[in-house]
Amino acid sequence: MNTKQNLEKAEWLLTSWNKETAYPESNRLDVLVTADDLRSAVSTLHEAQWGYLSAITGLDLGVDAGQLEALYHFCNGPAITTLKVHLPRVGEASLPTIEDIIPSATFFERELSETVGFQITGAKSMDRLFIPDDWPEGVYPMRTDFKIEQAKPVEGRYVDEIPEEGVVRGNTFVVPIGPQHPALKEPGHFEFTVDGEVVTAARMRLGYAHRGIEKAAESRNWIQNLYLFERVCGICSHTHTMAYTLGVEKLAQVEVPARAQTIRELVAGLERIHSHLLWLGVTAHEAGFDTLFMYSWRDRETVMNLLEQVTGNRVNYSANVLGGVKCDIGLEQTKAIKDGLNFLETRIRHYLEVVTTDVMFLNRTRNVGTITREEAERFGLLGPTARASGLVRDIRVEAPYGAYTRFPVSAVTATNGDLEARCVVRLNELLVSCFTLRTIVDNLPEGPLTVKMPRKVPAGETISRVEAPRGELLYYIKSGGGENPLRIHVRTPSLCNWVSVLEKAVGRQLADVPMLIAGMDPCFSCNDRVVTVKHSNDQKTWSWKQLREYGIEYYKR
Amino acid sequence: MNINDPLWVKVVKQVRAWARLNSIWAIHFNSGSCNGCDIEILATLTPRYDVERFGIKLEGSPRHADVLIVTGPVTRQARERLLRTYEQMPEPKFVISVGSCSISGGVFQGCYNVGGAVDEVVPVDVFIPGCPPRPEAIVDGIIQLITHLKEGNLPPSQMKKLTEKVTA
Repeated sequence: MNTKQNLEKAEWLLTSWNKETAYPESNRLDVLVTADDLRSAVSTLHEAQWGYLSAITGLDLGVDAGQLEALYHFCNGPAITTLKVHLPRVGEASLPTIEDIIPSATFFERELSETVGFQITGAKSMDRLFIPDDWPEGVYPMRTDFKIEQAKPVEGRYVDEIPEEGVVRGNTFVVPIGPQHPALKEPGHFEFTVDGEVVTAARMRLGYAHRGIEKAAESRNWIQNLYLFERVCGICSHTHTMAYTLGVEKLAQVEVPARAQTIRELVAGLERIHSHLLWLGVTAHEAGFDTLFMYSWRDRETVMNLLEQVTGNRVNYSANVLGGVKCDIGLEQTKAIKDGLNFLETRIRHYLEVVTTDVMFLNRTRNVGTITREEAERFGLLGPTARASGLVRDIRVEAPYGAYTRFPVSAVTATNGDLEARCVVRLNELLVSCFTLRTIVDNLPEGPLTVKMPRKVPAGETISRVEAPRGELLYYIKSGGGENPLRIHVRTPSLCNWVSVLEKAVGRQLADVPMLIAGMDPCFSCNDRVVTVKHSNDQKTWSWKQLREYGIEYYKR
Repeated sequence: MNINDPLWVKVVKQVRAWARLNSIWAIHFNSGSCNGCDIEILATLTPRYDVERFGIKLEGSPRHADVLIVTGPVTRQARERLLRTYEQMPEPKFVISVGSCSISGGVFQGCYNVGGAVDEVVPVDVFIPGCPPRPEAIVDGIIQLITHLKEGNLPPSQMKKLTEKVTA
């Protein structure tokens, strides 16, 4: 079925609730529904297995329009169906929850209620998401009339505390982990309820790295925003700017030269190698296999050298500009890239052998955190985490963008769905990347590097999706025709993958938890939310002292 | 020998200073950074830059650490945790702030959830600018701290306090 037929099918499915239909772009369908019909419309798309819920964007249409807008983006290959809901700005903007239909929507809904101020009715828990605990009630940062003075800290609202006394529920104990913890390289706070060594409930609170970039983007112009979005995440900085530039260029109707597109893919490929090698090292470190950590980080320096030689920077490359790229590939770089890739390929093959044969490592990875294909689909997983379960979620293959039509890549999948499969998928992806990059440097199209971009971007809205090393990255960009964007919404892949940790930690040993967290390759700086997944019944609370005495008594027997 | 013997006290002091300067244990705290600085700090620990040759080791617990390496602008949610981590460290303690946004807020200046620079929360001894600083720059920052202390100087953050007192 092609994109057009897919969209027509979606329109046909939604006929009974459809208030207004629009085709803003060739691959997009907008359907206006009322808040009461939303649940029926969502479950129709879900039951017909029309794609997956990719993101929910909340917009404030302004004081004059007096309306809030919620956009539910469903993606099916390149086709995107958006359910639009309009609600009045004043009073309670109530939206029914859809988390019982699509579990992963709980993250999106919380973001919606915290930042734009929708009231989600029927949701199980509405704890603070990613805005701080001392944030005042009823102040929403993504509203157009938000002023920073409104967000003065509220006294006594600081609930982010470590249970100093220790919390024991029944025969279980709560182990707090983070935000500063040896097993975490980035800030996040987890509470694992354990019964002996077995985890019985998992809870997490993120938001330590929440900076408010989406709001900041509204007060910066299109070019400044390029550098702001590069700093959403230091590991996948190039893919963030890629999604941003692709979207803005689409709005401005600018065609980027083929050479620039290809260089973008080249840098993205090198970035994927650096990101996955980094991940391999961190995972090995969590498994106590520090030798592999040091080796993989040593080899990662090879690709860092290549990135530096191509773009001039090691981390925030600034390779993309609006309308093209900044850096060219000469003969010297071509040779360096080929030599580097040859070396890396032998090393990657070696690591592939290590992660599949080393018994110590296999004890930590084989059959740990297994996710079946059905579960992956239900949780809405993305990227290598989904592909390890046999679910093909790869935007480079499903909806090729930029140079991926000219230099396609193949999707790497595995069927086991455990941590070993995720290691194998990521390493095999690197082999595919090495192959593609070699083809690219040999067949780089000639031509200019940039085209002229207008300073003001025409009014309109667009969705741009790219494949980051961790999975699908979605940017929703809305322009009012001025020098600044009206709204940019970023949905990062890590946000969708958290479910895999929280669901799979329950029933496993506590010692497996760091591996599970590392297994999805989390990126805390990209996303900042909180979620409570499972709770045991609160029976009684013990203090550390009582617990210690109980322990002494227990072992006397 | 009497442990209060001035010679003995002097010797112990010298041995302690020598040992401290030769085995600096660092703790890393991310107060809202974009990961860029964090991966460069990890890169300084790994074989290419190998900061362990100066006796520097990344330590998980603040109670065992001498140096606090902070990256990123201080977000409202992370502020309390940064203070708590700092307070848990034993004296003498030093703070290194890595990256432009930990020095001034950088590109995130004016964001609603960003409190500002690290030295508004804890006293900072070494500032390493860059977005992110190269591993060489981080190594250089640490070495500057070590040489500064080897010369018998006070920690830079305390020197600043003294000058403030004098001018006040």
